[in-house]
Amino acid sequence: MRRRAGDSILIGDDIEIQIMHVGESRIKIGITAPKSVPVTMKEVKLVGQENLAAAQLRSIAALRSMLDRLMESPAEGEK
Amino acid sequence: MTSTLTANTQRCATRYLGEVEYSEESVLVFPDGIPAFENEKRFLALRQPMSEPLVFLQSITDPHLCFATLPVQSACRDYQLRLAPEDLEALGLDQNRQPSIGHDVLCLTILSLVENAPPTVNLLAPIVVNLQTLRGRQAIQTESSYSHRAELPLREAVCS
Repeated sequence: MRRRAGDSILIGDDIEIQIMHVGESRIKIGITAPKSVPVTMKEVKLVGQENLAAAQLRSIAALRSMLDRLMESPAEGEK
Repeated sequence: MTSTLTANTQRCATRYLGEVEYSEESVLVFPDGIPAFENEKRFLALRQPMSEPLVFLQSITDPHLCFATLPVQSACRDYQLRLAPEDLEALGLDQNRQPSIGHDVLCLTILSLVENAPPTVNLLAPIVVNLQTLRGRQAIQTESSYSHRAELPLREAVCS
């Protein structure tokens, strides 16, 4: 499917994706969808999954030992 | 953050730091929550001397929900914030310039520790808090090429 600025794509009966503007490295699109259909950037889902993983944190002791390994060197000289 | 026992001091159970006292003025408000936790709108940023430079982002409503974060510049010294216009607006920041980390905004990156994998930080979507209003948002930086699973440098605080 090839579309130009101003053209639209329909998905089913009630979702419309319109190509509003085509720029050099990005395009602007308008999406019309029922309230029940969430419209988000794919990155939002990715970040949500990452947040869920991050919330399953191990103990504070594990954190601390990890930090000791990571953070010791550069700060040492400065302090 | 220090807390004094005043009339508006409240208590909150935390995941790692036992019970803490906080004042209403120190609450970070995320009007939209953060992705996957859209209903969590109120957090505390807690530090502990033994865990520096970690900042614990503790939910006030759910004691079990706490993110370990780092000030973004501890994870990536020359981190560039490029907030989208929607994020600037939602945070009540000047639309005509990028905010300065530490002056205009607090900028934290969420740490992820998964078994048998190196720890990573989410540089793609930092937690950004307007320091004037304490309004916060996890801002996805679509204009940047930062990773949502950036490895922490083992020896030096440099990043690519």
